[in-house]
Amino acid sequence: MKGLKYQLKSVLRDKFCLMTFLLPILAAAALNFMGSIDLSSLGELHFGVLENDLSPQAAAWLERYGPATAYTTLEELTAAIIEPSTNVIGVRADGDSIKTAVSGDELDIFQQAAATLPALYEQRAEAERANVLTLERPDILEGFQDIFISAVLIMAMFMGCTFNAMNIILEKEDGVAFVNEILPMTPSQYILQKVAVGFLFGSLSSIATACICFRMSWQNWGMMLALIVLSSFVAALIGLFIGKLSEGLMTGVVHIKLVMLLFLAAPLLCALIGVSGPPAVMCSIVPSQPAFDGIMALSAGNMGTAVKDAGILAVHCIAWFVLYILLSSRRSQQAM
Amino acid sequence: MGKGFCALFKKDCRMLLSGKFFLMATGFLVLYTAYVNLGYIRFMQMPPYTVYLYDPAGTQTEKSPLLQTVPSLEAMDAALLSDANGVGLDASDGDVRAVLYRGAEHVDRHRADYALSLLQPPVTAAPEVLGTNTPEQKARREITCELLFFELSAVGFLGIAAVLFKEKSMGVIRVHAVLPLRKSLFLLSKLAVFLLSDLAFASLLTLLNVGLAGGAAVLPAVLLQTAVLSLAMSLTGLLCALLLKDFRQFTLAYLLLAIFAATPVFLSANTSIKLDWIGCHPLYHVYMGLKNAYFGTAVSPIYYAGTGGVIALLFLAVRLAFRREIGKEG
Repeated sequence: MKGLKYQLKSVLRDKFCLMTFLLPILAAAALNFMGSIDLSSLGELHFGVLENDLSPQAAAWLERYGPATAYTTLEELTAAIIEPSTNVIGVRADGDSIKTAVSGDELDIFQQAAATLPALYEQRAEAERANVLTLERPDILEGFQDIFISAVLIMAMFMGCTFNAMNIILEKEDGVAFVNEILPMTPSQYILQKVAVGFLFGSLSSIATACICFRMSWQNWGMMLALIVLSSFVAALIGLFIGKLSEGLMTGVVHIKLVMLLFLAAPLLCALIGVSGPPAVMCSIVPSQPAFDGIMALSAGNMGTAVKDAGILAVHCIAWFVLYILLSSRRSQQAM
Repeated sequence: MGKGFCALFKKDCRMLLSGKFFLMATGFLVLYTAYVNLGYIRFMQMPPYTVYLYDPAGTQTEKSPLLQTVPSLEAMDAALLSDANGVGLDASDGDVRAVLYRGAEHVDRHRADYALSLLQPPVTAAPEVLGTNTPEQKARREITCELLFFELSAVGFLGIAAVLFKEKSMGVIRVHAVLPLRKSLFLLSKLAVFLLSDLAFASLLTLLNVGLAGGAAVLPAVLLQTAVLSLAMSLTGLLCALLLKDFRQFTLAYLLLAIFAATPVFLSANTSIKLDWIGCHPLYHVYMGLKNAYFGTAVSPIYYAGTGGVIALLFLAVRLAFRREIGKEG
């Protein structure tokens, strides 16, 4: 207990270390703010027209499908169409009809829209009378917001990993690791103290992040808390592994970067591509995958999946812990 | 002086080798190449909306071959549920009705009108094509540019700082204070090592992912931009490493840079989201320079003058910080 007090003391004194844990909270707040940026404009059609070229009726008709920007010269319009970051479709008057221009590198959906736009213009009178039934469904792009938030939450949980790894590597470099070996301290005490600090701050910062991002019922909060606690614990343990395996600062940074990449890439790819079957089981070997899956399930209100994911995380906790104990006891036997 | 530089250069290379730096760069090269060729190109496809037609009586005679006929209303509902971008056309009771899930307002209008237009005889007029790239070429260039930017800013920044902190802790800077070498050589050799490795990385990444012919055509421009970015990032990394106390403080500065500086740049340069203040963001201009190089667009000479000035200023600042560090140590 006393050792833990010293660990906490050293952490609290290091302002920058505290800020590391504040970072995901800041990112979450920024994301909440970013939610006000209209992401739905991404799938929209954008048109470029020449000033005083289209008739007022045609311009008004075009605005029904998406924003139209007017350019003064043909060169400006051409440059806007070719500009690779946007999907602007050029629209110009062609007698009574209209004609379109694209840069040719757009996704199929935009090329098709450009190809059929003159036909839509011809049939605009019928389209006015069309009978359209719009069904309600949660916006697909809102799902992306959820994915971002979950990714930040994963980052918060795995901050404990970075912190622990850095802590141990720095102790190694400063020679404190040698001092630790002759202190009257059992390996399990050492593990507990080290894990405790990363775990504590990792889960605190994730809880704050979750508070900012999610609004949910008390029951779901209980489940979320379980997910956060379990995955922060795994993360803190993995931090210990990285610390043990890295000889110096440079290799440590490389290892942390690789682990971070893996932890973020596995769940994001699974969520975006929609993996199922044996590859999904393979992905569950990366602890962030069940954590991510559980958070996504909770935000969709799917309790069953969340419980299953918490179970997988619990298995992770036990497996990594046992592995670490085995490794360190073997090492200490060798050292004897 | 040349001999001293060579010795320093060799020492830096050896340090990067022992830190598995080159191994990591190769690993990332393989990872990125696999991602572009196996994942991204397949993922970044958006076919036109699928339109499902339920027409039991066969009233629609002039329908387009793009329509998919479904046997029942239930089948149409199921198809729409799994393909939320699709549109259903229900022609079972004379008047045709379009059914779709709500998305953005403008897009919904277009989807419905597009679906209904498929029932009319086609009058498709091929749009005029102004650019030269195919969608795949564009996707390859875009993602290669993004990955290169990310890797250069990350590795240049983090790598050079890791090396410098290592040397700080080993006391190399103290040794340097008494060596009969010009102080800038110490900095120049580091910059040269990172510049060369970044250039090699950029060439391989471009050739492997944009394609040999297309990649070779844009390579000179890309390498020029790579050099600008690499020098600027390495100098910033050196400056941070010299000013900050230890590596933990440095990782924080790094995270701040990575998240808060890079995100708006990516959003603004790759999507139709335009932020008004992005012109004041220095990395935005560098990123656009790199992107213009990939797409073969000309870059204004003001940009080169600006970046040259910034790099020179950064170098002076780094030299000042380095002198201060030596003064502190010695």
